[in-house]
Amino acid sequence: MRRLRGLIAGALLLAASPGGAGGPGETQSPQDRNAQFTLRSEVDAHKIGVQDPLQLTITVEGSNAPDEIPLPPLVNLEVTAGPFQSSQISIVNGRMSQSRTLSYVLQPRAVGKAEIGAVQAGGQSTAPIAVDVVAGAIRPKEPQRQDPFGRDPLGDPFEDMFGARRRGRSETLRVQMEAQPSRSRLHVGEPLVLTYWLYTQASVADLQFKEAPQYAGFWVEDLEREKVSPSGEAASLEGQSYRRFPILRKLLFPTKAGTLTIPASVFRVGIARTSFFDAGGTIERPTKPVTITVDPLPDAPGFSGAVGHFKATASLDRDTVPLGEAATLRFRVEGTGNLKWVDRAPELLVSGAKVFPPQSKSDLRTTESGVSGSRSWEFVVVPETSGAIEIKPMAFSYFDAGAGKIVSSETAPLTLKVAGGTAAAGLPQAPGLSAAARATGALPLRSELDRHAGWAPGPRLLASLVGLALVLHAGLIGLGMRGGGSYGSAHAASSRSVRAALRELERVSREPMTKEQAAALVEKALDEAMGGIADADDSERAGAIRALLDDVRFVRYAPQLGDYSEKLKDLAARAAEAVRRWA
Amino acid sequence: MGVSARGPLLAGLLLAAASAAAGPSEDRFREANDLVRSGDYPRAIAIYGELARAGAESATLYWNWAQAATARGAHGESLWALLRARELDPGDRAVARDVERLREALNLDRAEIAPEPLAVAGRFARRYRLDLVALGLLALSVAAHGAARLRRAPRGGLRVAGATLVLAVAAAAVPLAASFARPTAAVVRRGAPLVDAASPSADATGTLREGEVVPVLEASGDWLRVEDNAGARGWVHQADVRRLDTAPAAQPRD
Repeated sequence: MRRLRGLIAGALLLAASPGGAGGPGETQSPQDRNAQFTLRSEVDAHKIGVQDPLQLTITVEGSNAPDEIPLPPLVNLEVTAGPFQSSQISIVNGRMSQSRTLSYVLQPRAVGKAEIGAVQAGGQSTAPIAVDVVAGAIRPKEPQRQDPFGRDPLGDPFEDMFGARRRGRSETLRVQMEAQPSRSRLHVGEPLVLTYWLYTQASVADLQFKEAPQYAGFWVEDLEREKVSPSGEAASLEGQSYRRFPILRKLLFPTKAGTLTIPASVFRVGIARTSFFDAGGTIERPTKPVTITVDPLPDAPGFSGAVGHFKATASLDRDTVPLGEAATLRFRVEGTGNLKWVDRAPELLVSGAKVFPPQSKSDLRTTESGVSGSRSWEFVVVPETSGAIEIKPMAFSYFDAGAGKIVSSETAPLTLKVAGGTAAAGLPQAPGLSAAARATGALPLRSELDRHAGWAPGPRLLASLVGLALVLHAGLIGLGMRGGGSYGSAHAASSRSVRAALRELERVSREPMTKEQAAALVEKALDEAMGGIADADDSERAGAIRALLDDVRFVRYAPQLGDYSEKLKDLAARAAEAVRRWA
Repeated sequence: MGVSARGPLLAGLLLAAASAAAGPSEDRFREANDLVRSGDYPRAIAIYGELARAGAESATLYWNWAQAATARGAHGESLWALLRARELDPGDRAVARDVERLREALNLDRAEIAPEPLAVAGRFARRYRLDLVALGLLALSVAAHGAARLRRAPRGGLRVAGATLVLAVAAAAVPLAASFARPTAAVVRRGAPLVDAASPSADATGTLREGEVVPVLEASGDWLRVEDNAGARGWVHQADVRRLDTAPAAQPRD
């Protein structure tokens, strides 16, 4: 569970409770009439066993309390835990006061006398506290708790028996929380103050967030708590009279236009006990959701998103500068608004001088009316020519919500006198100058404006042309397939087929075989190498192959009237030549 | 007028028109160069921008623009101009050398100025004119195929057609693949804010490095949605970045 930021970390106590804070070892509280705070040190027992723990509580109340309270000197005691620190705002009889408490757990070292020395802080001191230490343990043992300080030492003794039932009283108490915006309609970038109020008719001992607030759509800044009377202020809520106290304040800047809602935040409120038989208790109180209407900002060239009231100024750190040395131009924007959002300076152009990118500095504080202060940018200006250099006015545009328009604040023109010297002598070189520039001191400009490389097809045209070419190829293949079969026959013959056909033709001349076998082999070789010949094909190739096949078939089917070996060798030779030529 | 006289006359008219169109650009270019030499870099850059928008883009123009920007201390703008020059003429060695020099001066990693690998393929294709090579090979393959079909090709005409077709498709694939590269832009302002919406009142989610090249995912008005080299996405004002895929559309913020 998150504790409230700031001072609301502990309890809000009503009047009667401080009386019970004393223990058996309560010490004196030296009251200085001029002091604005009081200092007390207390122990929870003056006589303990050597095995018993001892609780030391140091309390400082009032304003201007010292930040640090040192541990007093201890005799025959040692610290075993602590310090545990809590800050409190107490409302006693309707008056509010602040206090801070440090607690230590001490353990005796040996039987005998022990002493807690004087606590000294802020010019005040408490009296030493003497403690008797006896053998063994003489204090009643408490049930084990995870947090030794988790239980109120002044707790209700009947809580264990009746606690849950007795807490019902708290639920009926009139305690309310309210989140109150300073306004409900504004522009993007305008500030609004959101204050969380506690309205109470009862004694409040503790206040914590159960659900931390969410501010989606807002830039959030913390504000100091509003200073009100310690007794709060009278207020009326839903027809009931309350005392109300500001708990928390936030400065919100909407970052986008539209209807923005700050959802409910739930607080856990601890109610102080009012009597011996009252257990106090804890209740939960939500705030109501807050709806804010955010208008958009107008758009304009050069408008950086600044909203508020600003004034721009520009100044030079010197009026005259020797050639080769630098001057610093400070552009400063001062005012109130969303100055944290402004992160860029206007462009600074100075003819006859180099201007280096600026360094930014901020001096901002958060107030109810926005982020106030100044933001400045320092440009390093390096003159490149002697004489007077004119620096034109620089403009800063912002949205004036009151006027409802974008306003421009311009700086006055400035003049920088550049004395003597020759140009470029001693000028600092920009770190990115090219090798040629560094070597010669002159910029390596190109003199002729060459033209960009000529026409180039775009990707679409290129893809279209590739597609067109593929289509043309496909068309040509289709035509070839339909017209002459040249794709499926000779042209389709692989080199392996051709070699195989030639080997078979060589076999015809070399090996003894019948004329039918030889003719069939020649015909087969021609078919493998040349494929089929279309009837419509009247090319030289087709004619030659047809004639060759006719001769081969004649020999194959002719009666065996003589020796055909020479004829077959001749046919094989002609076939081999045709294969070599056309396959 | 005879047909034979029309050709020279037409050519003369075209030449005259071309010289008339080029003349003012050359004059303005020289004027800008003179301004650079006199130290008036902003005006010179304004003229370079005017010429670029008028279509007189070239590596030379951007080279001079980069020199002027460097002299002003605007290293991001200078790197952008050099990268744009490299886009136009990927074979310009001086530009490539100065890109490297400026990259090192800005302490940028190589990957930070080359977030799109396909853009490298595009520069390769432009440098070697692979688009025109592909077109030439396509024409050759179709011609070879046609000749083979008409039986006027020497032996192996179809092989030539097939081989040139394969080469043409391969050559065309490079520029076609490069056309799928995301457009990029170079950051020209140091610490340019990356915001969560395209609005001047949006929350800043980070900053961009000067000179860093970022892919452009989307454009909306004066804002570009980009992705930085760490993978963070957000909107950046157009005044803080310059696109590398097109000529500067608006007057550079000088």
